[in-house]
Formats: sequence, structure tokens, C-alpha cells
Amino acid sequence: MKKTWLVGVLVVIMIGVVAAGLALVYFLPLDLRERSPLQPIDFSHKLHAGTNAIPCLFCHRSATRSPVAGIPAVADCRACHQFISPDAPEIRKLMGYWDRREPIPWVRGHALPDFVYFPHMMHIRAKLACSTCHGEVAAMERVTRTASLKMGWCLGCHRQHKASIDCWTCHI
Amino acid sequence: MKRRTFLQLSGMTAAGALLAGCQSKNEKLIPFLVPPNEGVTPGLATWYASACRFCPAGCGILVRVSEGRAKKVEGNPLHPVNKGKLCARGQAILQELYHPDRVAQPLKRTGARGSGDFQRISWSEGLALLTGQLTALQRDKAADRLALLTPQLRGTLSELTTAFMGAFGSPYHLSFDLLAPDWLRRANRLNFSQASLPFYDLAETRYLLSFGADFVEYHLSPVQYSNAFGRMRQERDTVRGHFTYCGGRMSLTAASADRWLPARPGSEGALALAMARLILAEGLYDRDALPAGGLGAEALLKGLAAYDLHRVAELSGLGEGQIAEVAREFAATRPALAMAGEAVAFQTNGPEAVRAVQMLNLLAGNLNRPGGVYPDAGSPDGPENSFHELISLVERMQAGRIGVALVQGDPLHSIPPATGFPQALAKVPFVVSFSSLLDDTALQADLILPDHAALESWGDMIPLAGTREGVIGLMQPVVTPLFDTRQFPDVLLAVAHGLGGALAAALPRHSYQDMVKGALQKRVGRERGEGFEATWVELLRQGGLFGTSDNRDRGRMKGYRRVPGVSLPEPAQPHFAGDKQDFPLHLQVYPSIALYDGRGAPFPWLQQLPDPMTTVVWDSWVEINPQTAASLGISQGDLVEVTSPQGALRLPAVIYPAIRPDMVAIPLGQGHHGMGRYATGRGANPLALLATNIEGKDPQPAWNATRVRLTRISAKGELVTAGNTQGSFRSELIEM
Repeated sequence: MKKTWLVGVLVVIMIGVVAAGLALVYFLPLDLRERSPLQPIDFSHKLHAGTNAIPCLFCHRSATRSPVAGIPAVADCRACHQFISPDAPEIRKLMGYWDRREPIPWVRGHALPDFVYFPHMMHIRAKLACSTCHGEVAAMERVTRTASLKMGWCLGCHRQHKASIDCWTCHI
Repeated sequence: MKRRTFLQLSGMTAAGALLAGCQSKNEKLIPFLVPPNEGVTPGLATWYASACRFCPAGCGILVRVSEGRAKKVEGNPLHPVNKGKLCARGQAILQELYHPDRVAQPLKRTGARGSGDFQRISWSEGLALLTGQLTALQRDKAADRLALLTPQLRGTLSELTTAFMGAFGSPYHLSFDLLAPDWLRRANRLNFSQASLPFYDLAETRYLLSFGADFVEYHLSPVQYSNAFGRMRQERDTVRGHFTYCGGRMSLTAASADRWLPARPGSEGALALAMARLILAEGLYDRDALPAGGLGAEALLKGLAAYDLHRVAELSGLGEGQIAEVAREFAATRPALAMAGEAVAFQTNGPEAVRAVQMLNLLAGNLNRPGGVYPDAGSPDGPENSFHELISLVERMQAGRIGVALVQGDPLHSIPPATGFPQALAKVPFVVSFSSLLDDTALQADLILPDHAALESWGDMIPLAGTREGVIGLMQPVVTPLFDTRQFPDVLLAVAHGLGGALAAALPRHSYQDMVKGALQKRVGRERGEGFEATWVELLRQGGLFGTSDNRDRGRMKGYRRVPGVSLPEPAQPHFAGDKQDFPLHLQVYPSIALYDGRGAPFPWLQQLPDPMTTVVWDSWVEINPQTAASLGISQGDLVEVTSPQGALRLPAVIYPAIRPDMVAIPLGQGHHGMGRYATGRGANPLALLATNIEGKDPQPAWNATRVRLTRISAKGELVTAGNTQGSFRSELIEM
């Protein structure tokens, strides 16, 4: 009698362990991407977009006409910083890249899988503010991802704005 | 270690590996260092129109370029030849641009010829070397010791090379292509006194009879003819054009036919005349066509008396009834069209056989009619005898009377060695190659001045035999050149200006781009006058100049008309190299649909494209009829030795039911000694087997007139196929 109980309890515990394991695998953040990755240069969005109020599109200039927003070429950074605080340590780093003819290896904070087609220009045309998805970048020293960028999050916004939720809209 | 610890450790390792495989890391975002000044928008592709120069068909292409990188090639819908379609070879020209073994800058030979030891030099040094050699020739008053070897060129490039050689003072410019349609030009010159190539109106015809013309694979303008063939079959509501193919090997074209007549090699001309005779005897010919050609039915019938059905049936190995049926169908259906192709033309009696096939077109009255044959507007004349020019140049080189040879292309791979070309080239003291890969010829060269890839080049491309209207396709660079290369014509111009004098005077422009632009300006100048810059941009945008009215008129005015009094074709008994006892099998060499004559071999996309008939990839093979194979004890995939009077090759065997038992066939294209990592040392080049002096006669381009024998070597042919050519695997297990 006692033995059967023991076996029963053991079976229940094992099922529990397996279930917990599966749940763990399901909820575990397998996406280990940094939300706020360290960048090769301590570029401050707060200083550029906040304090100096430079519009996003001044640097990310292809957002209105291309699927990707684009990041400024090293030459573009240099063009201003030849004159603006050229002696700051981070600017010296920038000039180092320029002198070595190396592009700056920025680390991507917002990424979607390859099977998702996300066109920036359509969202800009729909008069969405950049901050809807990217958060208040103008207040961030280092860019931190605020949105989950998961499909449910996309669909929520699409439903709210009565945008298409057909599969083929994004998965083309 | 205890068993328990081991299990624990391995479990942890497995779990760790699993998790590491699932997780993702932050990617890098790499900006431009300096933004390109051509209005490149990241993420948005730009499409540029250009032209394909892989084969002479010259299709129009559109190239998708993203952030300055060419990504995809498609057909140009505006181009009259390919109408938006493109073949696999055209798609693969991207891999020419990105080939990992491209010659990145000029090279000077340091080791022995063929050793592949080269030293990198600068362009100024390379040009100085070449100019020095040419100046020495000029100084010694030996300008005719310069030879230029190119494929058959057309348009501005042809004008440039002609002017260059003319002003330098050397007549030895050889334009040779293994598959060049010289034979068609010669036949047309004889029959119609114009050396134009034919444009077959396949789409409108109702009965097509092809004598060895593999127009789906490579014949003249394959994309155009494949498209037209589809329209002949399916475009009209009530008519589905009938197609009969005549030839000893079933090609992809033949496999698309309604009926296959596997005639004995060399008998096709006689077969055509037997059909002509039957059509005449039964009065089925076109009543107006004969007088227009200066012919009388009675006299013609008498002239063709030798080609009676019984004799020709014996000659060709076909049934009398079969031949008569096709002849009657051909004559009774209007419009009906007969084509002659390479399999027929490259026999000893080829030139006459081609004229015999044209006789059928005359009898059917389809010259210059819808569904018939028109002269092609693009190439009104061209080389008619380049093979004999090759032979005489080889003699000159052998005699040591050529001091400098400028070689564009890879003639060492694409000229049969029986011509003596390899030995002759070895005797030339200074060989310059313009290849962008270290191909067989470049490996033997003293100086390599690498050409741009097609997608980095300027040029005009006049399509070969693909339209009735005049078309000039324009090539423009779609990307910035990846390496320190220069275009072949620009090198010639630089040399001309370096030498100065008459050469610089004959070639006043400094860049080939300007020459092409000037040529186009001359063409459209008459029509549009002022403001050529805007027109030029528009021409580049649409991919060339398509269907100008003056070209259309010219094409219409000069239709085919038989020269009165020209002799009747007499396809004599064919001759073959190799004794019938020792060498019982006819060898047919044919261009592979993927690799063409070998220029596709360096591109892995084309190497891994399964041959449509045998599904072989990455190799060459010999096709053997099952009956012949059984008698020799050969089975699929065996290694066999193919021996001809000229040499021997080892190849894997493909048991191929769709070839005559007395024939074997080997595709062209493989067997390179160089040409980059994907082509080097792969397969075998069947040209090594071919004889050119057949039965003691003068050399002639009879690539299909060599006989061979087979010997089984082992079971290890290492044949890789994408499918089982014998049907599905172990299909005998499936009961029907």
C-alpha cells in the first residue's frame, strides 16, 4: 500500500517536472538580444534629438522612401563634427574610424526576423510618430528598445489603426 | 569518470548546445563610410537595363542593384528578342561579376607557360609592356606579325578592332567561334546572294521540320525561339503547330517534337532532297514559288532524280513510309517551315545539306512570308569562312611569322586541338590574354590585362538572328567595377593612343563609352536631331534602340530571292574520320544547355543545373544507346574510354535510349585546365577527340564527322545525377 503511494507520488512529480521544464522552455527568454546594447561609440540620442532637437529624418533620411530608415554614413557624422566639439573623446573615436577608413560597427537594437517585411516608409506615410515603436529616443542617452516587437504587438496596433491584418501584409 | 557523472555532463552539454542554437544575438548595423553619390537609397533596389553578352543572341536584361551590388538578372520586357524572358545562362552572369577567382589586376608571367606563376603588375606597367612589343613590331616594319584573336564581334567593338588592326597594318584578325553560323551565311550567299542570317517566323508557322536545329538549347537565338515555339503550339485558338525533328540524337528540342526521325548522321541533306523530290513528283509544291526562284518543276525533278525514296530510306535508316508521310504533311500544311542546324551543318557534306533543307523552304513557298523565313536585320553580313582563316593563321603561327598575339576569349579550350592551334600558339613569342579568369589561354599567356565583367561594361549588342527589325541593345555598367580591371576595347584604345601616329588618328576617341555613344548618335541623329544627351539617357533607360523605321524598311526591301541558275544542292556521301572497323560509332558533340561551348563552366549555378535530358550535374558524360551498351557490357555510370583516331578520353557512361545505336554523344563545355575553381579539371573536353583532316581532305569544320570506339574501364564513373534516367528507381517493382 505504502509502496504504491510512493510510486504514484513519484509519477506525479515526474509529470510535474516535465511540465515545468516545458513551461520553462516556453517562457524562457530565448531571445537573448540586449534591449540596450553597448555601442562602439557612446552616441547620445538625448543630446542630438533632445537637447539639440535635430529631427529624426535628418540622419535617418531614407525612412520616408525605403523599407529601412538608414543610418548616417561615417562621412555625414564627420561633416558636422569637424567643427562641433572635435576634441571630445567620443568624437576622437569617430575620427579614428574615419582615418582608418572603417565603418562604425553599430549594434542593432531593433531587429525583426527575416520572414517579416516591415517597411518604414508606409508607417511614416500613415503619419505614425517614430516614438510609437522606438520609444522616447529623444530622452535616451543610449537607445533602449521599449517595444516587444512580437507579432501580437504588431497586430494590436494594426487593429487599432484599421490597417490590414492579412498574413500577406507582412509575411511576403 | 563515473557513469553517472558522464551522463550528467553529456546531458548538460546537449542542453547548452540546444539553448545556444535557439538564442539570437544582436546583429551589427554597418553604415556607409561615404554615401555613394548616385542617389542610392538603402533598402531600395534600382533596376538598370543592359544587354547579355554570354551568347551571340544578345538578349536584353534588367539587373536589380541594391546598395551598389548587383543582385538579380531578369529579361527586359521591352527587348524585341527575348521579350522579358531569360535563359539560365543569362541569369548566371551575376556569378561572372562575383567569381572568387577573378583576375583582380594585370599579371605578368614569371614561371614557365602553363605553370600559372604570375606576378601582379600595375596597369601602366602592363600597357607599357604591350606598347613596347607593338612598337618593336612597327620599328622592324613587321606590323603583319601582330594577330588578334576574338570571338565573332559585331557593332562598335567590331568597328574598333577592324580600325585598330587596319591602322596598325596587320590583316590577321581572326574572329572565330566554334558554333559560329558561318555555314548559314555561306548557304545564304550561294542560294540568295546575301550572307544574312535567317529569321524563322516560328510563332506563325503550322508545320515545323527541324534538321538538327536545337533552337530550345542554343541554336542562333534560343530564348526568342523557345518563346516563339510556345506561341506556335499554344497561342492560336484553333491551330497547334506540328513539329517533326530529324537527327540522330534526341536533344531537348527533339524531345519537344511530335515526331522524331533518327536519321543516320550525314544523311539529313539527302533526306531533305528526297522529301523535295516527293513533293515535286506529287505536285504538292507552291505554284508561284518555283517560277519566282527561276525554277521549273520538270527540270528540278530531273535534277533530283538521284534522291529516290528507296535509296534515301536505305541511306538514312528510316522507313520509306515515314519519310513520305512527313514530306506530304510538310507540303500539305501552309505555312510550313524547315530549319537546318549544327548537327547537320558540322558534317563533311554540311554546307550542301543546309542548302538542301533550304530547298524545302523554297518548295513550300515560305520565303519572306508569315510563318516562313525572313532575312534577319541585325547581321546582314559577317564572317563566312572563319575556319579557313583559323587554319591559315595557325600555319603562320607555326612558321613563326606571328610575333604578338592578342587573345580575347578562350580559344585553347574552344578550338579543336587537331587544327594544331595549341602548338601554334606555343610558338608565338608574346601572347596577351584579356580574360577575367585564368582560363586555358590565359595560363599560356605572357601578359594578362583583365577585362571587366559584363555587368561592369559598356557596349552595344546587336542580336544575332533574333528579330526582323533592327535592334541595338546597349550594355551599361550596373555597378562600380569591383577590381582594378579595364574593358578590352578601352585597353585597345589606350594602346592606340600610346603608339600614336596612324592608330591614334584612326581611333580619335579616348574611351569606348564615347565610341558607343557616338555610334548611337549617328544612328538616331537623322531622326531626332538636337539634344542627344536626353535621348542617350532614354536609350540607356530602356536598354537600347529597338525597331527604328529605317531598319524595318531595309529588312523588308531585301527579302530572300533565289539566285537564278544557282546549282542544285548535292549533299554527297558523308565522310568520317576513323575506319569503320576500328571505330564503329559516330560521335556527336553538342553544346551543353548550361555551359554552352564552355564559357558557362566557371559558374556554379550552371554546373549544378541538371542537364534536362540526363540530369547529370558537375560533370561530362557520354550518351550510349542501351543496345550498344549491352553489347559492350557497359552499364549506367561506368567509366568508359572513348577513343578516336585523334585521341582518347575517359568519361562516365549514361545509358540513353534516345540516341541511335550507332552513335554516341558527348556534351561540350567541361575539361578546362583553368577558369577558376569550379571549372578546373572537371569532366573532359570532347574537342580533343575531333579530327579535322577527314579522309585526306583539306581541314574543315566537321565537328560531327569523327568515329570512335568505346572500351569499358571500370564501374567507377562517379556519375552524379539529379534523377534516375531509367525511370523511377526500381520501377520494375511497380505493377501497372
